[in-house]
Amino acid sequence: MKKKLLIAGVALAVIIYLKQPERKKRFLKEILRQVPFLIPRYYA
Amino acid sequence: MADYDVIVIGAGCGGLSAGALLAKQGRRVLVVEQSGMIGGCCSTFEKDGFRFDLGASLIEDAEVINWCFERLGTSLPKEVDLVSCDPVYDVILKDGTRLKYPISSEESAKNIGAVAPGAVKGWHSYAEYMQGFLDAALKGFFLAPANTNADLVRLFRKTPQLLRYGPMFASSYQGVIEKYFKDPRIRESIAFQSFYGGLPPNTCPGYIAMVPWSEHAGIYYSKGGMIGIPRALERCGGKYGMTVRLKTRVNSVIVRNRRALGVVLADGTEITSDLVVSDINAKLLYLEMIGEEQLPWLARVGIKSYEYSMATPMLYLGVNYTPPLEGHHTLITRPMEELNDYWWNVYKKGRFGNEHFGIVSWTSHSDPGLAPEGHHVLVLTLQPGPYRLRGTGWDDCKSALTEEIIRYMSDRYIPGLADHIKVAELSTPLDFERRLLSPEGAIYALRQDLTSGVAFRPAAKSKSIKGLYLVGASTHPGGGVPTTIASGMIAADLIQQYE
Repeated sequence: MKKKLLIAGVALAVIIYLKQPERKKRFLKEILRQVPFLIPRYYA
Repeated sequence: MADYDVIVIGAGCGGLSAGALLAKQGRRVLVVEQSGMIGGCCSTFEKDGFRFDLGASLIEDAEVINWCFERLGTSLPKEVDLVSCDPVYDVILKDGTRLKYPISSEESAKNIGAVAPGAVKGWHSYAEYMQGFLDAALKGFFLAPANTNADLVRLFRKTPQLLRYGPMFASSYQGVIEKYFKDPRIRESIAFQSFYGGLPPNTCPGYIAMVPWSEHAGIYYSKGGMIGIPRALERCGGKYGMTVRLKTRVNSVIVRNRRALGVVLADGTEITSDLVVSDINAKLLYLEMIGEEQLPWLARVGIKSYEYSMATPMLYLGVNYTPPLEGHHTLITRPMEELNDYWWNVYKKGRFGNEHFGIVSWTSHSDPGLAPEGHHVLVLTLQPGPYRLRGTGWDDCKSALTEEIIRYMSDRYIPGLADHIKVAELSTPLDFERRLLSPEGAIYALRQDLTSGVAFRPAAKSKSIKGLYLVGASTHPGGGVPTTIASGMIAADLIQQYE
């Protein structure tokens, strides 16, 4: 059940992302690209 | 006993404001600067009788700068001869439409109405919203340290009204502007300021959209050149014993047991101090002057992950006629989508476009003393230019590019320019790096978006090295004259609290 919910959640997020206008996609993409560095940057 | 209580590396506005305030706290302060002049990006140089501003060409949010001078027992108007620049901009759109933005909001609304009658209502809503944000941001955001989560909690407790403006932090500059303005020409007229945040409209954080409004609180020019501001900070610091040493390059910071203990100069001289304040690019500081081996691994990953901010070529022109312009600042801009397209498909691909745009600062309009009689000074802040040019080098194309830009501007925007040039000097990203030791010619040190800002920007009180404090564009609140001066105030406050 948990796995199904997770897959549904990810699918929903992808659909929402794809429906966004190009400028919003670019903004989100740029933020997502930097997300892995947030914790290290907090300690910088 | 150490040679000094505090050594400040770099005499930019952040370093000088921190140094002056720390000297006022009774500390023995030495500021060392690698170049022959103070001010960093906010500096002025002379060539063949013309005085040119190196980078910054205007003062916004003068209130913040004034707070620093008040702490030093004086005021900005007492120390710096300021000239008000009105209109804020004379904007030239791509289709040739001209739209003037006077300081007066009502006058600006009239001009907007003449271009797009339906946009006046949007202007008033935008102005009201941004003024609220600006009031909250100036009181809290600019002068509050943002080192830890606790700092952020304190910031929002002190200025809870900032929470109201949360949606701006979750949106892009373009998103905010499009919310208030439907007319593409009005959007175009205030699109360029996203580059003040160092990014194009679709990537720049939404809160930077306050800039086109904040300029209506007044923008000023420092008579004699922008160097007037750092000179005033140096003078005030000097009254409290602060010493500034020019042409003194620091090679490394002395660190033992993760504590800063002074600096080693390029000639090998060691100067010891209890505290070190850095006003240089944080990536350069940590990775080259301190050494990554001194950093905990998480901090090392964080520092390495930062991207440098954008670079922008500047063209300094001395002319022997009165240029046919309308005021101190002329903004030659492009539609919002073209700015995005330029960033992603030209600049990011290593090219410098040949359809030039940017800001023309006619500084001798505000201060005729900057040029010989009958002559004028124009400083062109051009569109972003990549540090690494594809297929050529900046030094190789500099001379041809200078001529091409002058011809382009002369043919389209400043008639007669090409026939009246007395002095022309192009400063490329490479020159900027050489002159200011700013890696990759980055004008705001590090990229300024949500993921590299506030608590995610290098901390003002170093989390890795004790006794090390950061000021300038690399740390919160980021690049710009008032913001770097604010960083100096934040560092001085933190030092007073902890050291």
